[in-house]
Amino acid sequence: MSVFSNINREARFLVKQRYFFALLTIVLLLSVFSVWSGISETNTQLSTIERLQQKDAIDRANVLAKQSDYGSAAYYSFHLTYSAPSAMAFAAMGQRDIYPWKHRIRMLALEGQIYETDSDNPELSFLGRFDFAFLISVLLPLFVILLLHDLRSAEREAGRYDLLIATASKQQRLWLSRASVLCAALAIALLLPFVIGAIIMQAPLVSTLQVIAVTLGHILFWMLLTLWFTASKVAVKQSSAQIASVLLAVWLGVAVLVPVVSDIAIDEMVQSPNGGEIVLTQREGVNDAWDLPFADTWAPFIATHPQWKNNTEMSSQFEWKWYYAFQQVGDQKAAALSTAYRDATLEKNNLAQRFAYISPPMLAQKLLSSIAETDTLAAMKYEQKVRDYHQALRLFYYPLLFGAAELNEAQNNKTKVKKVAFDAKALSKLPSFSTFKNTIHTAKENI
Amino acid sequence: MQKDMIVASSLCVRFAQQTVLDKVNFNVGQGEVFALLGGNGAGKSTTLKTFLGTIAPLSGTATVMGMSVSKDIDSIRQKVAYLPESVMLYGHLTGIENIKYFLSLADIEKSAPDIEQALMRVALQKSAWCRPMSNYSKGMRQKTAIALALLREAPVLFLDEPTSGLDPNAIDEFNRLIATLAADGATVFMVTHDVYGACQVAHRIGLLDNGKIVGMFERKDQAHIDTEEVHAAFSARSQQ
Repeated sequence: MSVFSNINREARFLVKQRYFFALLTIVLLLSVFSVWSGISETNTQLSTIERLQQKDAIDRANVLAKQSDYGSAAYYSFHLTYSAPSAMAFAAMGQRDIYPWKHRIRMLALEGQIYETDSDNPELSFLGRFDFAFLISVLLPLFVILLLHDLRSAEREAGRYDLLIATASKQQRLWLSRASVLCAALAIALLLPFVIGAIIMQAPLVSTLQVIAVTLGHILFWMLLTLWFTASKVAVKQSSAQIASVLLAVWLGVAVLVPVVSDIAIDEMVQSPNGGEIVLTQREGVNDAWDLPFADTWAPFIATHPQWKNNTEMSSQFEWKWYYAFQQVGDQKAAALSTAYRDATLEKNNLAQRFAYISPPMLAQKLLSSIAETDTLAAMKYEQKVRDYHQALRLFYYPLLFGAAELNEAQNNKTKVKKVAFDAKALSKLPSFSTFKNTIHTAKENI
Repeated sequence: MQKDMIVASSLCVRFAQQTVLDKVNFNVGQGEVFALLGGNGAGKSTTLKTFLGTIAPLSGTATVMGMSVSKDIDSIRQKVAYLPESVMLYGHLTGIENIKYFLSLADIEKSAPDIEQALMRVALQKSAWCRPMSNYSKGMRQKTAIALALLREAPVLFLDEPTSGLDPNAIDEFNRLIATLAADGATVFMVTHDVYGACQVAHRIGLLDNGKIVGMFERKDQAHIDTEEVHAAFSARSQQ
């Protein structure tokens, strides 16, 4: 008899079981809710970005219109940066619940603006959002266990087991067909809302297929594990409740214990400064500058910006070029900590990837976040893009503040540098984040 | 000479430290009804389950139609029908649906008239055929399982306490059916503690006690095995 005939027989058999439909209905409803919740959150984030973009442009135009020098223009104007959710983000919000996905930055010291908060939703980082990825990585194993734990034991308890295996021409085919039908129905209940969600969000086909593959792979893992255990000699002497308890203990181990223990272990293994330290170091660097001789600011600034070494002369106690120079120096003082923080984040991410190989739910979660571009790497790419954009702002303003044109003229004429003339039209060439491509160096290279 | 369809040769089964079957030997020929008789815990069901391949022997061999249970269990299962002591089919399916499902498991296709004929042959009332089995009495479930065994047209039948729970009329009907099947060439191996029933239907009876065959009784010229002789041996063993 063909595989199709076996599947067909078991499908017709299971169709008449009410509890099976009740469970599938619950799974379907959970899947619908998770997809709806993901789409809703994605749309909220997109509309927030759209709204902020409009307000940001209006606000900057108003602010810049009132300025009469480049220093004030740079000081008072904010620039919205954001990481828009991908079309697949609805399926896995991932690290977007933890890392910031929008910053309004100014041309002041950057580190404080980035690390003002370590995380947005620490409560969500513990519990996890109820999105499709949570359903697939954490709850899916429970559904498989519920459906398959008593595949054999229920027949034993009902007194049918011997008759079944004495009748079945190939008993392994019987259990495999039954388990396959149950898991196929489970996959449909889980994936149908997701596929509809992917169509609504116009997610790329490749990403959609990848999510389906991860889901099917995770189902297959738990199906084979459950089939293997229920067929083992240990399980023969156990009741359905005992088998379910053992499988639930395995689930608890790999879905809860391994992630929690690995999180603690990774924190122990990788030493990392916290965001507060970086902010404090940078702010101390900036605040101290007010009380220090100008030379203490210019020396470290010129070390990294030698092109301005001939233009550090101060004609008053306050000049914007000096002000932005010590903002730059503040960042430079915090640079080592900031790099250590990012290196540690990467190292933690790499270690978490390794731990995920002993926890299929953790692996599924990581794969889904990666496909949805909501993982740690995506968050770091956004942070790098903010850094690059901030650098682009500095590259835009420094020549205006330090007077590049005037400096060249003065050097040619061997005269002193004149005061930089303000031209509002120059500000129309301010780099825009929405069209900004990492021209300085790509985020990928840095990560 | 009758062909040996079922053979137990020095069959030993142990559970933990307890010997359940101790060098059991017997053979059952084609068209023969063999009853393995014994009290509770004698090892009857263990013997039967060893032939069904659900219990592995420690030593010795069990063969069905010349095939070793240890090596060819899938092939054996295609040739045998099994009737458990307490027939529990799927309650949410009707009698006919259950039969179709189990036949499909055995890779057997039967037409609706064939199934109806089998159900009539086991005297299951027609009104019950399309009712969910959760509403069936034990006797009705037993009859459905017998119909299933008939439809499988298996050359070897393994029956576990087949008349347990049946009313006297149903037992008579069942015994007649077994006799007919044997006359048609089917080999029947049944385990029971019903001395009277075994004597009525079996050609030979093996008396099993503490995992050993301690007596063998057979029809000679009479229509049935002598009930008193078997009963006396059975009682004597029970009192030891």
